[in-house]
Amino acid sequence: MIASIARKEFSEIVRDGRFRWTAGIMALLLLTALAAGYQKYNAYMATQSLAQDQTNAQWLNQGDKNPHSGAHYGNYAFKPAGPLAFFDNGINNYAGTALFMEAHKQNFAVGRPAGDQSSIGRFGDLSGATILQLLMPLLIIFLGFTAFSGERESGTLRQVMSMGVSNRQLLWGKALGIGFAVLLVVGLCAIVGGVALSLTDLSAENESLGARAALMTASYLLYGAIFLFLTLAVSAWAKTARTALMVLVGFWAFAGFLAPKAAVEISKAAHPTPAFGKWMADMRSHQMRGIDGVPPFVRFEQEAAEIFAQYGAESIAELPVYVGALRLQKFEEYDFPVFEEHYGRLRDSYTNQRRLQDRIGIVAPTLPLRSLSMALSGTDLIRHFDFADAAEAYRRDMVLKVNDYLATAAASFNTAGGVFVAEEAVFAMVPPFEFEPRGLRATLSEHAGNFVALLLWLGFALLLALWAVRRLSVEED
Amino acid sequence: MLQATGLTKSYGDIEALKGLDMTVEGGDIYCLLGANGAGKTTTISLFLNFIEPDGGTAAVCGLDVTREPLETKKLLAYIPEQVMLYGNLTALENLRYFAQLGGHDYSQEEYRDFLRRVGLQEEAVDRRVKTYSKGMRQKVGVAIALAKQARALLLDEPTAGLDPKASNEFSELLLKLKSDGAAILMATHDLFRAKETGTRIGIMKEGRLVDELSTGEVSHADVEKIYLQHMHAGGHYAQEGAGSA
Repeated sequence: MIASIARKEFSEIVRDGRFRWTAGIMALLLLTALAAGYQKYNAYMATQSLAQDQTNAQWLNQGDKNPHSGAHYGNYAFKPAGPLAFFDNGINNYAGTALFMEAHKQNFAVGRPAGDQSSIGRFGDLSGATILQLLMPLLIIFLGFTAFSGERESGTLRQVMSMGVSNRQLLWGKALGIGFAVLLVVGLCAIVGGVALSLTDLSAENESLGARAALMTASYLLYGAIFLFLTLAVSAWAKTARTALMVLVGFWAFAGFLAPKAAVEISKAAHPTPAFGKWMADMRSHQMRGIDGVPPFVRFEQEAAEIFAQYGAESIAELPVYVGALRLQKFEEYDFPVFEEHYGRLRDSYTNQRRLQDRIGIVAPTLPLRSLSMALSGTDLIRHFDFADAAEAYRRDMVLKVNDYLATAAASFNTAGGVFVAEEAVFAMVPPFEFEPRGLRATLSEHAGNFVALLLWLGFALLLALWAVRRLSVEED
Repeated sequence: MLQATGLTKSYGDIEALKGLDMTVEGGDIYCLLGANGAGKTTTISLFLNFIEPDGGTAAVCGLDVTREPLETKKLLAYIPEQVMLYGNLTALENLRYFAQLGGHDYSQEEYRDFLRRVGLQEEAVDRRVKTYSKGMRQKVGVAIALAKQARALLLDEPTAGLDPKASNEFSELLLKLKSDGAAILMATHDLFRAKETGTRIGIMKEGRLVDELSTGEVSHADVEKIYLQHMHAGGHYAQEGAGSA
């Protein structure tokens, strides 16, 4: 019974000229977005890896110099894109993609593609994710808003309801039929995209790409099902097809545009981001006066005796290591808690904003989906912070290595004075930067709430649809 | 087969049915006559459980339609004034869909046979029905009723707007169903056809059944006379109703 209802619904939809147009446009947009996304992704990855190789080579070929100067010469970390960034570019257009790592300073990532675009580019990227998040619901609405209301208007509902079929069977059958029609368009594109993808080598080792793709598919299917049942509910409830369409398109605009914008504004108001200039000035002055009010120079003098004792020395002359290097490393370490406090403050505001946005996400299914999609693509804020953390850890290690080398190699300069110059080859002791993103499991634990939000929405949409068909009337008034 | 007992129904202040008692047995073609608004369509909608009665019961084969809505609908076939079909599906696909909704399934050949029996042209069977005339759609409606193997039929002015030939063919189909033992309740304005095809005639006025006749015992002229007498009795409103009938 349900199968015959589904089959009839499907045949009716695909024979309608409107379906061919909407499906054609949708397929065209989706395939274009996937192709463009993939092309962009490849170009990005090629550029990043070329740049990383170059900066690594520059580091190794920086010439003979004082090792600490080498740390000032610095090194760049380039952020690799997540494994599904071609599908969902997430925040990558707005967050930096390259981070300069040098002695004494923790820096921000720079290189934001959005900054290179003309103002027209600010309308957002045409990515596969955007199309599915915004246009797939619209396709579902267009194919489904007449499911009940249209049959009521044309009079076929009277005959259908005279046949002794239960309202629930009608609901399930129609959901299946419309669902298949939508999948026909979206699913085909997904398969084409997937096959094309498997033919190329996606540089995503250890990223559990299969699990990510499966979860991504599940999330988008959930999202589609939510809109499908909402559409059927409104179609059964509304007196006319016109009303149904207006209500549904209204909700679509709310979920797709209004709610995300509102969520951003509310989260910014609740957890304001520090003003950049003031934040930077605060951090610099905090560095100067020291984490607990003792300036670095004073603190080193206070700790000098203790440090010398570690080496069994009572004066600089007795030290087996170069005191300048010790001081440099100590100054470096005095700054760590200052960086952690101020960058932490900044990051807390972003994290709190993101969490609040996820909580607000309960008002519109587009929000939790968007979060999940970015997380699974590896293009979200969490991934960006992980990258920044990896870069900072690398920076500290790099500085430590060169300072340590300087300490041992330049011990004689304690008394002789002058500047120690190391051979270029010693810089090879700092290995090239590599970014190991956190595993899928860690990503998911941060996003369990978003899955729950989607499931709650599906439950709500189902209940609404069941309620609407229960009171389904064949009469228009 | 079809039984109404003290059925009442109001829409706001308007009493559409004021205590209807009637019975249609198997092998009967019961024609309901009456002006627009007399309660004919309301009666049919109550038997289909499309609307809830305010009082009384409508029963099909002894089952109360409000208590067993799905079971009673399985026993019924309904043909409205305009049989509405899915324009993008062929006659055969429409028939198959409705038959399946009614819980039946037949072979391709059997579906064709149903459509042949109601006199649909062979070449039209696989054409999308959006090109169909009203007469053709009504035939598909009858084929749906045949395929449903219904014990009782509810017809709401099914021949309105049909040309005389199509109308006559439709009556022939009804007679066949009647001889198979179906109980048929038909709302109509066509006095001539009511007398020719029907076995009994009920005249409704302002929500009440005011008269019942057996067609075997009256002439066509009698039917018209009695009908008009009822319509003229009472006020101006009734006369207007008679005029439109």
